[in-house]
Amino acid sequence: MTAATEGATPAVEARRLDWEDRLLELEEAQHVTRLQRSLRRMRHNRLLLLGSALGVVVLAAGILGPWVTGGDYVTQDFQDIHLPPLSDGHIFGTDVLGRDMAVRVFVGIRVSLTVAAGVTLLALAAGIVLGMVAGYLRGWTDRAIGGAVDFIWGFPLILLAVLFVGGMGGGLFPVILAVGLVNTAAIARVVRGEVLTLSQREFVEAARAGGYSSMRIMWRHIFPNILAPAFVLASYYVAVAVIAEAALSFIGLGAQPPTPSLGQMVADGRNYLRLNHWESTIPGIAIVLVVLSVSLIGDGLRDVFDPRLRHEAKSVDEQ
Amino acid sequence: MKRIAARTLYTLIVLLLSSIAVFYAIRLSGGDAVSARLPASASYEEREEFRELLGLNDPVHEQYFRYMGRLLTFDLGKSLTNNADIFDMLTEHGKNSLVLGAAAFGLVFVIGVPLGILAAVRRNSWADGSVMTFSVAGMAVPNFWLALLTVWLFASTLGWLPSAGCCSTKQLILPAVVLAMEGIALTVRMTRSAMLENLGQDFVRTLRAGGLSEASIIGKHVLRNAMVPIISLAGLRIGQIVGYALVVETIFGWPGLGQVLVNAVLRRDYPVAQFFSLVLIAIVVLSNWAADVGYTVANPRLRKA
Repeated sequence: MTAATEGATPAVEARRLDWEDRLLELEEAQHVTRLQRSLRRMRHNRLLLLGSALGVVVLAAGILGPWVTGGDYVTQDFQDIHLPPLSDGHIFGTDVLGRDMAVRVFVGIRVSLTVAAGVTLLALAAGIVLGMVAGYLRGWTDRAIGGAVDFIWGFPLILLAVLFVGGMGGGLFPVILAVGLVNTAAIARVVRGEVLTLSQREFVEAARAGGYSSMRIMWRHIFPNILAPAFVLASYYVAVAVIAEAALSFIGLGAQPPTPSLGQMVADGRNYLRLNHWESTIPGIAIVLVVLSVSLIGDGLRDVFDPRLRHEAKSVDEQ
Repeated sequence: MKRIAARTLYTLIVLLLSSIAVFYAIRLSGGDAVSARLPASASYEEREEFRELLGLNDPVHEQYFRYMGRLLTFDLGKSLTNNADIFDMLTEHGKNSLVLGAAAFGLVFVIGVPLGILAAVRRNSWADGSVMTFSVAGMAVPNFWLALLTVWLFASTLGWLPSAGCCSTKQLILPAVVLAMEGIALTVRMTRSAMLENLGQDFVRTLRAGGLSEASIIGKHVLRNAMVPIISLAGLRIGQIVGYALVVETIFGWPGLGQVLVNAVLRRDYPVAQFFSLVLIAIVVLSNWAADVGYTVANPRLRKA
C-alpha cells in the first residue's frame, strides 16, 4: 500500500477501488474491439494461414513422428548403411552408421523446436522484465540496461554462442542461453519503447492520479498492454533460434551425440554428397521447413497485431 | 566531439568488462583443461602439480593481471594440444582471416552497391523485382546451408572449384561468396532505399530542370549522398563477417581465426580459446566503434550534439 492510501476511511478506499475497476473496464473494452479486429485480419492473412498449416505439419512431425516410428535413433545396422530413401522399412533411407534417417529427422525436429521454445520463454520473461524496468524507472537504471542491451544487440550471435560453449562446455544449454540473451535484448528494446509511450497515455495518468503505487500501475495497467507486442516480436525471432542451433550443431558445438540435431545431420552427410546426397538434403529441407513455418507465422502475427512493428523489426535488421 | 568521446569511453569499458568476463568464464571451466591435457590415469598429485604449473591455484584476479601483463609483452604461452606458440598462431591464422575477410568485405560493396543502384534506378521493373528477390533470399538462407549447396553444385557436380582448403584464389571464391552473402543482401536493400530517398529530393528536380544528363545526376549527385550511410556504417558489416567466419571457415577448412577458436573450444584448449576469444571480441567491438564514429562524422546534427 502506498502512502496515499494509509489511514483512508473505508468509504474512500471503496471509491478508490471502484475508480480502478472502471479504469480496467474501459481498458478491457478497448482490448476486446482490438482483438476482434485482429482476429478478422488474421483470417484474411494468407501468409499466416500458410505458416500455421506448415507449423501444424512440423509440430506433428516433431511430436508424433518419434512416437509413431518408435523414436529409436541410436541403433546402428552395418548391413544397411547409405540406403536411399524409400527403401524397405526406411522411408528416408539410412546414414553412414545404418541408423534410420526418418527417426533421426523427426527427433531432430523435436530438438530444434525444444531449443526454440526454451529460447523464446527465456527471452520473453527476461526481455519484458528488463524493458519494463528500464522504461518505467528511467534514469541511470535505463542507461545501464540500455548499454548492456545495445552491446549484446551489436554482437555477432554465433560468436556469443561459441564463447558460451567455451565457458560452459558443449550441449544445447549454452546455445539456448546465448540465443536467449540476444533475443532478450531485441524484446527489451521494444518493450522499453512501448512503456515510454504507454506512460503518456490517459489511462496511466488516470491511474497515477488515483494514487496507485508504481508497482501496481506497472503490473495491472502497463503489463497487459505490453504482452501483445512482446509475443509478436518473440514469434518473429523464433526463426533466429532455429537457424543458430542448426549452425552451431553443424560445426559440432551444439547438440552432442547421440542426440540427433538437424544441423549435425547435414554436417555428417556432407562427406557423402556425391554418393548419397539425401543424407544431407533431407535434414536440410527439414531445417528450411521449420524456419519457413516459424518465419511465416512471426511475419503474419506482426502484420495482424502490430503493423507499426514492421518498421521496428526492419530498422533493427538493417541497424 | 562529445558523442565520439562518450562512445570511445563506452567502448573501452566494454573491452575491459568482456576481457574480465572471458577470463572468469574460462577459469570456471579450468578443471576441464587439466583433464584435457593429462591422461585419465594421472594421480591427484600430478593433477595438482599441473594446476600449480599453469598458475591455476592463484586467486583469479592475480591470474588476470599476470595475463594482461603477458599480453603486453606478446608472451602468450603455448597451445595445450600441439604446443604451438600462440602469438605465432595469431600472425599465421590472422593473415588467412584477413584475406578471406577482406575478400568478403569487398564483395559486399562491389556487388551490393551496383545492384542496389540498378534496383533504385529501374524501380518496379523486372530488374528491381529480381534484385529484391535475390536480396530477400540472401537474408533468409542460413549460410551453412548455402555453403553446402554451393559445394554440391560447384565442387561435387560441376567440378569447377575445390570444396575446401587454403589458400589459392580458386579456394577463396566459395567461402568468400558465402561469407559475404548476407552483407550483400543488406547492402542492396540499404543502397536501394537510400537512392530512392535522394531521388525524391528537391535538388534532383532542380538539377533536372538545369538540363543535366540523368547519368551525371545519378552518378555525381544522388550517389554521393546515398553512399554516406552505407560507407559510414561499413564497420557493422565487419562485425557480422567475424561472426559468420566461425561457421564458414570451419565448413570450408579455411585456417583462419574463426576455425582456430572453434577447434580450441571443441578440444578444450583453454589458453588458445581465451586469447582468440579476446581477439575476436576486440575486432567486433572496435568495428562497432568505427561504425559509430563514422556515422557521427557523417551526420552534422549528431556531430554537434
